[in-house]
Amino acid sequence: MQKDFSAAWTPVALSADLPVAYVIPARIETADVAVWRAEDGTVSAVADRCPHRGMRLSHGFVRGEALSCIYHGWRYGKTGHCLAIPAHPGLRPPEAIRVTVYRVAERDGVIWVSATEEPGEAPAHEGFTGLRSITLSATAETLAGCLNSALRHGTIDWKIDEMKARLLTTPSSEEGILLAHLLIEAGATQSQKRSASIALEALRRAAEAAVKQGEAA
Amino acid sequence: MSGEAMIDQWYPVGLISQLLAKGRQTLLMGETIYVSCNAVGKAIVTTSDGRDLPVTERYGHVWSSLGLPAAPLFDIPEAEQPGRRLVDVGVVRVRCSPLRAVENFLDIAHFPFVHTDILGAEPHTEVENYKVEIREDADEVWATQVKFYQPQAARSASGGITTEYMYRVPAPTCSILYKTCPPRPSEWDVITLFVQPLTEELCDVWPWMALFDDETPMTDLIHFQQMIFLQDRSILENQIPRRLPLDPGMEIPTRADLTSVAYRRWLKRHAFTYGAQLVAQ
Repeated sequence: MQKDFSAAWTPVALSADLPVAYVIPARIETADVAVWRAEDGTVSAVADRCPHRGMRLSHGFVRGEALSCIYHGWRYGKTGHCLAIPAHPGLRPPEAIRVTVYRVAERDGVIWVSATEEPGEAPAHEGFTGLRSITLSATAETLAGCLNSALRHGTIDWKIDEMKARLLTTPSSEEGILLAHLLIEAGATQSQKRSASIALEALRRAAEAAVKQGEAA
Repeated sequence: MSGEAMIDQWYPVGLISQLLAKGRQTLLMGETIYVSCNAVGKAIVTTSDGRDLPVTERYGHVWSSLGLPAAPLFDIPEAEQPGRRLVDVGVVRVRCSPLRAVENFLDIAHFPFVHTDILGAEPHTEVENYKVEIREDADEVWATQVKFYQPQAARSASGGITTEYMYRVPAPTCSILYKTCPPRPSEWDVITLFVQPLTEELCDVWPWMALFDDETPMTDLIHFQQMIFLQDRSILENQIPRRLPLDPGMEIPTRADLTSVAYRRWLKRHAFTYGAQLVAQ
C-alpha cells in the first residue's frame, strides 16, 4: 500500500499570498514558523524565533536571499545559518548561530510546510488554483457538516455552481481559529471566482453560526 | 509568587501631576492598589484591604512598594540642576515582562531597525566597544562610552550626529540614560525609563525626561518620546518567551549586548526574578 504522506504536510498559505521578498507567520502542528519568499522566488520556512533575543522572525524583512530579524537585523540564509550581525559588520557569525529550518513544498498554488525529516511528496491538487484563504471560529468538522461533504486529512470537496472546489483546512496560530484555503478549478472565469468568494463568505457565516448554536445547546 | 526580593523595591505608580482625590485603581506586582491624594494634595497609596503603602513623590512620579524599602528612592543628581525642563511623558502599557522593557531600553543595536531614520539608520549599524561594570559601592549597573550614529538623536537635533550615551540601572525596573545634549555639549540630557510591574508579563512604562531644551514645545517633546516607545512596544510584545530568560542558553548575546549581560547577571545575583524565566521553571 502506498504510504500516505499528507498528514506530514501543513498547507500554510496560498502561493499568491506570499509575494517575492515577503514573510508571513504560520502554524504547523509542532511549531510556529516564519515562511518567506526570497527574491529568486524560492520559499523557505524557519522557526519563528530569532535566537538572539527571542523576537518573532515573521515580523522581519527579506532582502535578496536572506531573512532578517526586525529587532537587530540578524540575517539568516535559506539553510538557517546566521549570515550577518549588523552590530558587528566585521564578524563572521559562528556556525552555531542558526534557526531550525523546515521542509517546504510549493505545489498547485499551495505552500506546504513539514516538520518531518522525510515527508515524501506534498499533496497534489492538479487542475486547481488557490483563490483565497480565510480564518474562522469553527472546526473542520463543522465546515464539512455545513457542506454535507466528507472530511479527509483536513480536505473537503465542494461544488460551487457546478464548479469543482476544495477546502484545505488547518489550525491557525490563534487558539480555536481555523485557517481554510479555497481552491477552485484552474480555468475559472472572473464571474466564477466572484461567486466562489461569495460562497466562501456565506459558508464562514453558516459554520460560525452552527458553532454558536452548538454552544448554546 | 516569584521575585520575593523585588517586593521591597520602589516602583512608579502614577504621575504626581495627575493625582486625583477620588483615586485611581492600578496593579502593582499582581496586587490591586489605589493611588489618590489627600486634602493638601499629598499622594496616598493603599491596598484593596485598606493597608497604607509607603509613598515617595519624586521625578514627576508617585512611587510605592508592597514591601518595606530598605533605602530611599535612588538619586538622580543631574535632574535637580537648574535650567532643565522636566517632561512627564505619560504612560505606555506593554504586554511584556517589566525586565524585558528595561533590557530593551539598555540596547542600542536595535536603533537602525526599530527606530529607523530617527535613532539609527543603515549602514551605520556597528556598535563600537563600550565599558560596562557593576559598581559595587552603589550596587548599580553602568555602561559608559557608548557611541552611536543617529540621524535625529533628539527632537531638538537637526541632521545626523554621533551621540554619546551612558546607561545606569539603579533599581530592577528603572534605568536612566544620559545622552549628548545638542544645545549644550558640556551637559547630559537625562531620559529615564520607570517601569511599573503590573504582573510578571504586563507593565506600564513611564518615561520621564530632564532636558536642556527651551525651544521645543512640550507637546513635541512628549510626542517624540511616545513615538519611540510605541516602536519599542511592537518588539516587546513579540518576544518569546515573554519573560526575560536569566539563565544562559535561551538567547545568544554578542559584544554589543554587554549591558544586557551585566543587567541579567545583576538581577540574578539579587534574586530580582519577578518577570524573569529561570531554567527550573
